[in-house]
Amino acid sequence: MNAEPRARRQPAWHMLASEFGDSSLSEQGSGEFDPLFVITKLGAKVNRLVVSGLIERLEARETTNGATLWQGQLRDPSGLHYFSVGDYASETMRELVVKWARKVEEGETLMLIMVAKARFFQTEEGAIYTSLRPEEAAEIGPSVYREWLVAAADGLLNRIDFQQKSTSLDKTPEALREGGIPEHLIQGLLLANTHYGEIDLEIFRLNIMQVLDIAEGRTPSAKTPSKSGQQVSIISDEVSSTDEVDLKEVLLGLIDRLDQGEGVDFDALLSNAAARGHDRGVSEAALDELSEQGAVHEPRFGWFKRTT
Amino acid sequence: MSAEYDIHVQEVLKQVPDADPDKIVDAFIRYEKDFLIPPADAIRAVLRRFQGESAPSSTSSTGQSSSSSQRQSLPVKKVERFSELAADDKNVEIEVEIITHNARTTMVRGEEKTVPYGLLEDMPWEEGGESTRWQFKDWGNSPNLHPGAIVRLEGVSVNEYQGQMSLNINQSSGVIILREGTRTVSKPGEPVDIGTIKNEGTITIVGRLLASRQDKIHRKDGTGSIDVVRGRLADDTGAIGFLSWEPFEHEIGSLLKIENSQVRCFRDTPELNFGSGTKIEIFHDSNFASTDDLAATSICKIEDLRDGASDIDIIIEFQKMVKRSFTGKDGEEKSVWSGDVADPTGRCRSSIWSEPPFDINALPITVRVRGARVRAWQGVPDITIDDASQIEVMAATPWGDDIDLANNLVEVDLSDLVSGPSRVGIKTIGTVVSVREDSGIIKRCPECRRVLRDGSCFNHGEQDGNPDVRIRFVLDDGRSTLSLFVNKESTVQLLSMTEQQIVTAIEKDGQVEFVQMIRENFLGRNISASGRSIVDDNGAMLLADDVSIIESDSALAATELRAKWGVV
Repeated sequence: MNAEPRARRQPAWHMLASEFGDSSLSEQGSGEFDPLFVITKLGAKVNRLVVSGLIERLEARETTNGATLWQGQLRDPSGLHYFSVGDYASETMRELVVKWARKVEEGETLMLIMVAKARFFQTEEGAIYTSLRPEEAAEIGPSVYREWLVAAADGLLNRIDFQQKSTSLDKTPEALREGGIPEHLIQGLLLANTHYGEIDLEIFRLNIMQVLDIAEGRTPSAKTPSKSGQQVSIISDEVSSTDEVDLKEVLLGLIDRLDQGEGVDFDALLSNAAARGHDRGVSEAALDELSEQGAVHEPRFGWFKRTT
Repeated sequence: MSAEYDIHVQEVLKQVPDADPDKIVDAFIRYEKDFLIPPADAIRAVLRRFQGESAPSSTSSTGQSSSSSQRQSLPVKKVERFSELAADDKNVEIEVEIITHNARTTMVRGEEKTVPYGLLEDMPWEEGGESTRWQFKDWGNSPNLHPGAIVRLEGVSVNEYQGQMSLNINQSSGVIILREGTRTVSKPGEPVDIGTIKNEGTITIVGRLLASRQDKIHRKDGTGSIDVVRGRLADDTGAIGFLSWEPFEHEIGSLLKIENSQVRCFRDTPELNFGSGTKIEIFHDSNFASTDDLAATSICKIEDLRDGASDIDIIIEFQKMVKRSFTGKDGEEKSVWSGDVADPTGRCRSSIWSEPPFDINALPITVRVRGARVRAWQGVPDITIDDASQIEVMAATPWGDDIDLANNLVEVDLSDLVSGPSRVGIKTIGTVVSVREDSGIIKRCPECRRVLRDGSCFNHGEQDGNPDVRIRFVLDDGRSTLSLFVNKESTVQLLSMTEQQIVTAIEKDGQVEFVQMIRENFLGRNISASGRSIVDDNGAMLLADDVSIIESDSALAATELRAKWGVV
């Protein structure tokens, strides 16, 4: 009577490309139908994801056995998801890919939401690739994209919080449970802790700032991706194309928003500017100029306030 | 001696040297003639019979070399602990204490036979030593087995079933009493909290008697009935129903310690069984919760109801009721009053099998029900009330007038819904992670409303089928998933399309395109769905009659996230 029911459908995680793409650990049971999980640095044990973003590339490839494999990239504010649609995919999915590939070729902007299975591949040399196999997908508009961004940020914030709480706890299921870690994260956090050790959360925090900014409609979203198709270059592109007056405006805007009365500390200011794609060094220089111009002052060392 | 049996007779004699060869031949002849069993197949049965006949002599004189050593060619395996035994050990000798002993009558090859079963403990002479308990079955129904007795078992065999080891005391086994069963069992299991009882097994509890009544169980084969007592016990962690196969005459309110009660699960509900091996005694604890307190806390709520629960007390509001009359098997005209009931935790159904003590045309009405049973149909609990005396009409609702139960939808977290029982009148929220390809127009079997596959019903074969409209989604909250079935009215409303428009759209663009259209509108969206849930081994389903997209202001939600987590 307590027999485990038939294999249940795996739940889907709303997840940004950076968290998924940063993973290098997988788990798969020995049974033929045991699900594959990718374990992220934040302890999410992912079999299925809900992802969204812009299609950046979608190309057909002939595989060695003559089948067609469509490979594509989906950009969200944190980076790229790689996905592939092969002959194994549903008829609907294959038809959609052909249709979308044509649109991409014609230069149309395509924003998608996708429910996809996680894939994990390790080459003989040890290089690890994570990718997605879409199950269902649909074209969406900006409002649904924003909804997804908020859900993804919410998930990420929660996982960061629990990951941090878990660091001070004993690495046993019981200790984590007692420490208030929810059941669905316990196993993943233990595995992640063993595999990744201490992790740097800074990149995820920056992702959240970017995502929330876009959801709030503050900065132009990833709708205008760089042509080179690489995340790093977006930032540098923006830096080079952003003239310095704009950067000063951004800094002043940040101080307005963040100032709770005591001013804004140097690091928070530069991190936030970086989240908007401004290089720290350039920001620092701009901040110096603002000080010299008298637009901002430092009531105490390292804390900046708008001059009234 | 008949030559054709010679080889088999020799085989039997090898094992039982003092048996009469002529009698062995007679036995083989009888098996072959009367039961059509050839000697090669009958040898086990014959062997068992002659071993059994020689057994009594061995029980009385174990110390001597005569019978026990000769009786079986298998070497005697003499052990002190169960842990020394392997699954295929036979002819085992061990000294044990009988912990429980339940006589049970079973049908063995069409013959009624008493085969007692119970628990044994090894190392019986060690006070406070580490003893192991095993189950046993006594195929010989030995008169020497009594709870508390210490015996030496000879010629018993080990049985392994699904990884569980037990001892078989065979008809030929010897049972020698070493100490009479007068002593009470020194180490009963520690009492467990009633609220924690989930799985089958033998347990000890301390609980207060809340309800008890005589009942009869009718044998299915019509050979009469067994008198039993049913009732309910509670402690401050919960309440549980019981069934006593032995006389049970304690007063309501008594505090009882019950040792060696068997937990059996009836449908989804655990229940205590008291048999001859169960020891029940009055327990004294002045701090134990009083009957009134327990009765108050053991009042059920609709959300807690499980199929098979009995003797439950509950306060419900009757909302709608109909009387149905039918002719029973015995030709007697019978009536049942059934209807929809609710409390603040949900809705379900109720049936009353006698004239209700209120006007069914003047509903809603709030009642307190005592000692009701719960049955479930398609997962929806039905509170079954056998007699009007179980119903007490209440002057006012305990939950106040501000809750409008008629339209009350209880919001349930999706994961809780998936892991809980089937429920009615619930509402939940989740993300659409799949739109199934068979959404749109479907054909249903005219007999059973089952969806036709390739024009054919699972139960009724090929059918023309009646068209119906529905959408099948998968909803997900990041931890659990459920299948959401959107009915016709709600689909029409959700898509802003009439049934005819849906038919036309599918004819024009095709099924695939139609489903993709639904995806473009719903995939990844948060929706709210209300209706009833069915939860079983295949997962959870929500049959929804109202589904809507949750429109949210993403900018506001993002700002709220910032505030909540202190993101600047």
